[in-house]
Amino acid sequence: MRAPRRLTPADIAGRYFEDFRVGDVFETPGVTVTEAQIVDFGLRYDPNVVHLDAEAAADTPFGGLIASGFQTLALTFRLFFQSGVIGACSIAGQGLDKVRWHRPVRPGDTLRTTAEVVEVRPSASRPDRGTLRMVHRTFNQRGEEVLSLEAAHLVRRRPQAGPDGG
Amino acid sequence: MNGRPAETARYFDDFKVGERVESPGITLTESRIVEFAFLYDPQPIHIDVEAARARHYGDVIASGTLTFALATRLFIQSGIFDACYIGGIGVDELRWHRPVRPGDTIRLVAEVVEMRPSASRADRGTLRTAHTVLNQRDETVMTMSVTHVLRRRPGP
Repeated sequence: MRAPRRLTPADIAGRYFEDFRVGDVFETPGVTVTEAQIVDFGLRYDPNVVHLDAEAAADTPFGGLIASGFQTLALTFRLFFQSGVIGACSIAGQGLDKVRWHRPVRPGDTLRTTAEVVEVRPSASRPDRGTLRMVHRTFNQRGEEVLSLEAAHLVRRRPQAGPDGG
Repeated sequence: MNGRPAETARYFDDFKVGERVESPGITLTESRIVEFAFLYDPQPIHIDVEAARARHYGDVIASGTLTFALATRLFIQSGIFDACYIGGIGVDELRWHRPVRPGDTIRLVAEVVEMRPSASRADRGTLRTAHTVLNQRDETVMTMSVTHVLRRRPGP
């Protein structure tokens, strides 16, 4: 009988620094943003009337409740991390650039995201890691872009096999 | 959030480059770190104490997105844009410098670094602020540059 094979998260989504190529695009599943989520996030992190008060928001140029831009950003990362693309190799986020909110996100909108590798840079000082620059884009159910940003992810190289093959 | 008396209401024209705002602090608990990450950034170093220890972080660390969101909350709560805020254009040069750990207390210092009246719409202008998030040892944990659209003071 074959020995059971134990698959760790690293085996399941086993991409490391050297497996990424400039031009690779990863797509995520979607998530529907509800009114309750919008108000809950707004109360905690972005207490602006357009995220909290449907009546007051109706009188603004947005015409109703919209999601905090930071919630859209947080959901973009949730969808990306959940996809496991850098699940095995992620060390830390280094920074974000060019964060732009293009359109409001409203209750009932369904977001999905893409992540495109735009730069692959080995670390100059530490041979076990490198930086992936990715452009993350978020779209609504009509395919309209609502958010784009560039993120620098610090990730591990594939661990070298030891003398025992492990 | 828009309940300020008119005499204290500030508009685009009332700000000056170099002006600074300091926020009060907020203490990050382990439960908030894990709860936020469970929803928005489910990586082991944010939600699994044992995995975080194995990766030499010593404990869970806060999602950078949580630090980002709390920095936003502290800034909005300062109320300086209550009367004039139209929207955020974007964020640039965001950098996470140090981990934020359970029990850390963070606060925000924001400085007005650029002001540009709109060329096309006379009722508004663009204002950029440089944000620095500090911990209780005054170490910088995050920096970023935020661009806001603000209303100009209504004419007589």
